[in-house]
Amino acid sequence: MSSSYGAFSTKQEEKRKRTVPDRVLIRRVYEYAQAHRRNLIIGAAATVAGALTGLAAPYMHAIAIDQIIMPKNLSGFIWWVPLFAIIILSNYVFQYIQTYQMRVVGEKVVARMRDDMMEKLQVISLRYFSEGEMGRIISRPTNDANTVRIFLRLGLTSILVDVSSILGSFAIMFFLDFQLALLAISILPVAIVLVWYLGKHSRAAYRRTLITTSGLTARMQEDLAGIKVTQAYAQEEETRRKFLKSQDENVKATIRAILVGSSYTPFVIGLRLIGTMIILFYGVAAVINGTILIGILVAFIEYQFSYFMPLVDLVSMYDQYQSAMSAIERMFDVIDTKIEVMDALPERSIALQ
Amino acid sequence: MSIAKPLLDYAKSLKPQKGLTQSFSAFKRLMKYHRRYSWFIAAIVILAVIRSVLFSLEPYYTTEIIINVIGPPSNTGPLLGYLLIILLAGVGYAISNFVLLFVHGVMSQYIVRDIRTDYYCSLQSKSFSFYDSKGVGDLTSRATVDLQLVDFFLRTWFGTVLNAVFTTIIIIVIIYPISPIMTLISMATMPLIFYFTTRLWVETMPLFRNMQLILGRLSSYIQQNIVGMKTVRIFRREKDVVDGFMQVEDVFVNTAIKAGKIQSIYMPLGPAILTLGIALVYVYAGYTLGIPGSALAIAQVGDIILFARYMMRMTFPIRDLSQTLGTWIAAYAGLERVFEIADTPRNVEDLPDAKDIKIEKGKLEFENVTFEYVKGRPVLNNVTFSVQPGEKIAILGATGSGKSSLIYLVPRFYDIQTGSIKIDGEDIRDFKLDSLRRQIGVVLQDVFLFSGTIKENIAFGKPDASIDEIVQAAKAARIHDFIESLPSDYATPVGERGVTLSGGQKQRITIARALLTNPRILIMDDSLSFVDAKTEQEIQSAIEEATKTRTTLIIAQRFSTIKTAEKILVLENGSVAEFGPHEELIAKNGVYKRVYETQFVQKASPILEETGGT
Repeated sequence: MSSSYGAFSTKQEEKRKRTVPDRVLIRRVYEYAQAHRRNLIIGAAATVAGALTGLAAPYMHAIAIDQIIMPKNLSGFIWWVPLFAIIILSNYVFQYIQTYQMRVVGEKVVARMRDDMMEKLQVISLRYFSEGEMGRIISRPTNDANTVRIFLRLGLTSILVDVSSILGSFAIMFFLDFQLALLAISILPVAIVLVWYLGKHSRAAYRRTLITTSGLTARMQEDLAGIKVTQAYAQEEETRRKFLKSQDENVKATIRAILVGSSYTPFVIGLRLIGTMIILFYGVAAVINGTILIGILVAFIEYQFSYFMPLVDLVSMYDQYQSAMSAIERMFDVIDTKIEVMDALPERSIALQ
Repeated sequence: MSIAKPLLDYAKSLKPQKGLTQSFSAFKRLMKYHRRYSWFIAAIVILAVIRSVLFSLEPYYTTEIIINVIGPPSNTGPLLGYLLIILLAGVGYAISNFVLLFVHGVMSQYIVRDIRTDYYCSLQSKSFSFYDSKGVGDLTSRATVDLQLVDFFLRTWFGTVLNAVFTTIIIIVIIYPISPIMTLISMATMPLIFYFTTRLWVETMPLFRNMQLILGRLSSYIQQNIVGMKTVRIFRREKDVVDGFMQVEDVFVNTAIKAGKIQSIYMPLGPAILTLGIALVYVYAGYTLGIPGSALAIAQVGDIILFARYMMRMTFPIRDLSQTLGTWIAAYAGLERVFEIADTPRNVEDLPDAKDIKIEKGKLEFENVTFEYVKGRPVLNNVTFSVQPGEKIAILGATGSGKSSLIYLVPRFYDIQTGSIKIDGEDIRDFKLDSLRRQIGVVLQDVFLFSGTIKENIAFGKPDASIDEIVQAAKAARIHDFIESLPSDYATPVGERGVTLSGGQKQRITIARALLTNPRILIMDDSLSFVDAKTEQEIQSAIEEATKTRTTLIIAQRFSTIKTAEKILVLENGSVAEFGPHEELIAKNGVYKRVYETQFVQKASPILEETGGT
């Protein structure tokens, strides 16, 4: 048992092609979530409500500026202040409910999947644990389960928040001024293509680091498994030299991935900037013409911010989503394993040694 | 008692006392690793200043547009100029941000590399007793999974902290001259936000840390009870294992939900407070600016918008800072696990005045040697015997009698507590470890081959050996013919991606490996049982050839080995029961004779006992 290959085997396996379609996996996870449906529904509803109340703020700023402060119509504060406070407060409450309920769902669903795996691991054939397989098996109820936990906790919520923020911003912008809204989202197709294209490159660079990382892990595991031989022959230096070489390769690949990964942020920022330019250019003219008020113009700049950032976030979520799906698939792989030796001769199980 | 009891007790014993402050020492140690990269640090500081300045320009110039372009009086003349400034500032921001992220990322890779190298070097110098109690999987995951958590923190932490500081300063510098009172109002909520953010992490940090520690233990629990499940199944304890697991998991889930509850209370609080602060600015401005009854001047409106927008901008650095604290918690737990191992004492080290000593003859003496793994429970007790150069000593004894310990003391895989071991009259502790070990050939009980070719494996102890030397060693180890039969003979890869070798073949390769260095002293743990007659014979022949001229200590499982030994040493409960040539011991009519008669004479099988030992 000295040679176990836990740790990074998940990463090694990530290179493997997936076979089960996403919707099947999602449906099966949803079955687990059924037991906590109430939490799930409340949590999801609160997530959407939280995102939408969050979007109300820039509009409320516009109202305060255009209708109360600028015309010195201060009695407006009588209704504006309580309304604003209520919106902020309800936004807080929604976010509180969302964070808590989604956490409960995420933790409990993964816990139950893990329990099922453990029970299964107790009864399936010993052949499943042949040499080399061990690490892979161990990583399923631990590393894989953890990936899914974190995804259900952060990723799922982010996706809900991002999607509702994007759609909510669009709705409000179109409500405020149709023409300016069209201009504001005119960069959207370019943004999607650009973000997707650059994202693809950074994902590819990232995957390459997985390979060098798993190489490094394998090297380390072997060095440690053979450490007694290495010490017996006083070959520490030679072994270390090889390890450091493999580590340097990994560092190089990772630096490359960082370069590619961070190189797409300037493009994204640049694009957002162009959006701001467009809004300012046409918006200023519209304000001068009296078509819109100053507050609305400022609100537009903020709304553009609040749909662009989630968009970028959503794309970066793609990797998390993919690795969560792979992890889920592997977990079900254990849960679904056919039982080969099922307590046929309980008293004889001693013979298994 | 449930199997999971110790783990459950451990999980429950994790008191949430280790807080943010306790992580300071780990943080300080991490800072030391930054020292080598002061140029990176300097670059990050400069870039962070530039980035924060450029980040803060857009709201300022948008306000300029509102005041000077929109008016009244409206004047579209300077619009393009302002837009150009905003565009340039934005491009500058994007570029400085990109360079900063990259420099930061490179630094983090270098630091993680340095930590991992230190960790690896510390592992290389740990004694056998360390590895007897630690799993390879766990040690590896500390260098990979745990250090990855450290990497996540290192990638952005410094830039994020600087961003929060510089952005706040720059914003204050811009807005203070416009209205000191409004600046005070808008900044009034800052301490509150800072307080709640700190509370959030102070309260959740110990919980997250506990979760990570429980998770670490859970995987070794799974490894022991699921993968090492033979025993579990023999004793029908499956239900216990799963029940125990679920109990521990309950502790984990409850901790996670508790942490979630705290997070859900504090996390959305910061932005909410900040937004309410904006309302305060509006109300204050609404009541104090301008003349009652008439509309506000455009300059004043512009200023209010500027204040509100800067306050909204402040949410970003605050949010990032909070997230960085979150990554620190994970990184801290990871660092703790890495440093814990790195700081474990070495046990076996070179003495300050150790020398390179050449072993000329190979005389070996044990004098009153006492050795214990655990204090007060000696495995070897007062062992004294001596071996003449070239003699072969077969060691016999039951499991746990200390056979493996005895032979492993010679190359100092473990250090003895009292007494001495001498080679050619020199105490082995006067040798440099390197010099001692290079001159002793070792065939371990656990035959281990590295992935690589057969040639590389045989030449492991002497990487520059010529192919002739390698072939000679292989011939002596009776494995040459087999290697020749392989598709690419000596270049055939072994290990996971190579050919599958039987235990007997592996053992002979390891014998060849030991012979290649041509050691004066050879220690062998020949515990390979259950081999067929032909292999048995080949191994026997290999061992005979190998031990012909060398001082040899061999743990014997077969009578054939014992027969060819000059002397036999019988260990009983860590003491030498009998020591002498075969005939002498038979004549003595003691333990050896008994063992000899029951094990070798009556049984056809040469197996003395099951594979085992320490």
